[in-house]
Amino acid sequence: MSLKAIKGDEHTINYGTLRALVVDDYPGMRSALKLTLSNFGISRIDLAGSAAEVIFKVGNNHYDLILCDFNLGEGRDGQQLLEELRHRGLIKLETVFVMVTAESVYEKVVATAELAPDDYMIKPFSAEVMRNRLETILMRKLAFAKVYQHFEAHELDLALLACDALIRDYPRYLVDALRFKGEVLNTMGRFDEAEALYRQVISLRAIPWARLGLAKALHHQKKDEEAEELLHDVMEKTPEMVSAYDLLAEVRLNQNDSAGAQEALLKGVSISAKTVRRQQKLGDIAHERGDLDIARNAYSAVLEKGQHSVFVSPADFGNLCRVQVDQGDVGAAMDTLKRNRSLLGSSPEGQLVSAVVQSLAHTKAGKPEEAKKALEEANRLRRGVQRIDERIMLDMAGAFMTHGQHAEADAIVSEVARNAHDSETLLAKARKLYEESGRGEAGNKVLSEATADVRKLNNDSVILAHKGDYKGASEKLLTACRVAPFNTRILMNTIWVLIKRLHSDGMDHELLDEAIRLLGEVEKQSPGHARLVDLKSKLRDVEHHFGIRRKAP
Amino acid sequence: MKFDNLDLYAALMHELKNNLGLLIMTLDTIPVQGHPDHDQPLDEARLLSQRSVERLQQALLIYKADSGELHPVVDAYAPVEMLRELRDTAQSLARDRLHVDTLVGDQVPTLWFFDRSLVEMALINAIHNSLAHSRSRLRIEADMVDGCLAYTVRDDSAGYPDHILAYGSGGSGHGSAGTGLGLRFARLIAEAHDNNGRHGELRLFNEEGAVFRFLLP
Ligand SMILES: Nc1ncnc2c1ncn2[C@@H]1O[C@H](COP(=O)(O)OP(=O)(O)OP(=O)(O)O)[C@@H](O)[C@H]1O
Ligand SMILES: [Mg+2]
Repeated sequence: MSLKAIKGDEHTINYGTLRALVVDDYPGMRSALKLTLSNFGISRIDLAGSAAEVIFKVGNNHYDLILCDFNLGEGRDGQQLLEELRHRGLIKLETVFVMVTAESVYEKVVATAELAPDDYMIKPFSAEVMRNRLETILMRKLAFAKVYQHFEAHELDLALLACDALIRDYPRYLVDALRFKGEVLNTMGRFDEAEALYRQVISLRAIPWARLGLAKALHHQKKDEEAEELLHDVMEKTPEMVSAYDLLAEVRLNQNDSAGAQEALLKGVSISAKTVRRQQKLGDIAHERGDLDIARNAYSAVLEKGQHSVFVSPADFGNLCRVQVDQGDVGAAMDTLKRNRSLLGSSPEGQLVSAVVQSLAHTKAGKPEEAKKALEEANRLRRGVQRIDERIMLDMAGAFMTHGQHAEADAIVSEVARNAHDSETLLAKARKLYEESGRGEAGNKVLSEATADVRKLNNDSVILAHKGDYKGASEKLLTACRVAPFNTRILMNTIWVLIKRLHSDGMDHELLDEAIRLLGEVEKQSPGHARLVDLKSKLRDVEHHFGIRRKAP
Repeated sequence: MKFDNLDLYAALMHELKNNLGLLIMTLDTIPVQGHPDHDQPLDEARLLSQRSVERLQQALLIYKADSGELHPVVDAYAPVEMLRELRDTAQSLARDRLHVDTLVGDQVPTLWFFDRSLVEMALINAIHNSLAHSRSRLRIEADMVDGCLAYTVRDDSAGYPDHILAYGSGGSGHGSAGTGLGLRFARLIAEAHDNNGRHGELRLFNEEGAVFRFLLP
């Protein structure tokens, strides 16, 4: 054998220019970590003791490096914090995020998280290890600079090309670049290419994230049986990988197996209970199945774990109270409202939720007069709320039916239906309300009339677009947008057709502005929607095509 | 999986490990002064607490392995980067008591697949052993051996005693007197790594001193 000394030992990073944030709930650890970093030459170091403090600091300063403990005491853990920071776009891809863990059994979650930190370090670690890790990550960030730049500017095709360049020329970054590229392909909806890529990685080695990525690509191509089989194997070999349970739930829902989906999510929360969105999903599925105890637990966990989380809104209080009322536990529902009175009182939406729940609770408790009063209050508050959670709307509709105010009920149901013309679950719920109040026939009429317009406009536009008549198609859809301003499916179809129209008929600034406005709406209504990244990228393309420069939307 | 299901002893060990970890990081912030009266006890305290943490980690991992929960989480890492990290750690622990050097074979690929935290724990234990037993130097190597990535830690100690060698060359090991937790744990980690049916191995032998060779498929 021929052995040599290690090459390339010179330190190339200029630590003096970096700004760092150290996050730990324990002050002793914060100062120890700060001292370590300052020994490397980093002079600008801020400290934070909680997730809330991090969100505040990150909003006001730019950090090159965040060193964060996984365990932040009560509330969010480091992994949730990272997810929230990335989800809200509070930190860029260039920012180094390193998780510090004590590697107790359940913290292995970090090592297998779908949204991975740049690296994680196990306590205790020496300054030498930290320095080596930082060096490696910072070099990688340099190598990926182009990829990140394009990605942040929504130039996904260029980001893919930059990945290809790394894959071709830098063996050190081969696997990292493949991982990034696979994620981009999956977000762009290029699932067959993603599938091929993940198979290529797996032929090198069955890395857990590659198997998960493959399962996702398979699921979106409706190859759910294969996806399910793969996920079972992933769970057996990497039981800590919680996102596998989330994906399995999706796969099973797709096959109308809601019992199986619930089971998968229950396993997921048993590994990592703090993730709000997993608990929300579990609550929804369980409630729909009539598994009220499970739904109640899940919705309670949402409120408990999700304090100050962006993923929690007044609608979540509505969800818990609705289950409590359904269980006949009126006292518990009222108690939930009472304990959160100041929070709910602070927003029009919260006040509305509170009034609706009170109306339901009074009805259940056999106090029709008070129920009616609360309903009137809700109806008054309704005008002050821009966008109301659909389930709260249906609750109101149901309440109106109870009091025989059918015209009001029909108007609300029709609004819900227009804005969710393709949501089987919501339409089924509405149908059930009518059946319960003995107006099944009337209900079918309301629902079919409400959805007919939107559905027809959408279908017509598909046909026109297919013929290449993007002008006609976009006019149909713009009309649909006015009728159903909260129908994200319609809004996104409109953006897509507008982009097509600009490409084929030439630039029209009014239409471009309309597309940008609609994109903003979708972003507000369903932040982080899977199709957004791709639409943004397509919008970027059309702007580039006509030489328009604009700050990233 | 969850805290409540872990048994009490494991939970206690976690707590001890974390507290000791904090102690180490605190000790690391005390600057050396160049006075033996100050630096030597500091070094000893550091080393002792390191070894205690390591012990607890080993015990916890063996506990996990016993309950069938030792799943390496494999990803791609650069063997040379890990070698550098091991060297820097060894150097800082050895200060000037021992000479530390590193060598890398020219067949070593840019990337290899393994569970970095587990492998590093096994190797740090070997480094600690060499720090305790060797006379003047220790060397860490990365090379390709029998198609595997091999990390080797060698020193100029008196070598492993016979019963350890018997264990190291595939002897029964379990239960044989004097077989420490550290080496048993390293073997568990090596064997838990699996690439298409090929498992990792731990090879122990004596040349100039003790040779600890850790093979990753
Ligand atoms: N580098 C070495 N040179 C000589 N002997 C060694 C070396 N490393 C380990 N040994 C011997 O092998 C035994 C087992 O080592 P191991 O690390 O498994 O156990 P241990 O319980 O950690 O023991 P110790 O605390 O003595 O290191 C040690 O007690 C020692 O006798
Ligand atoms: Mg030992």
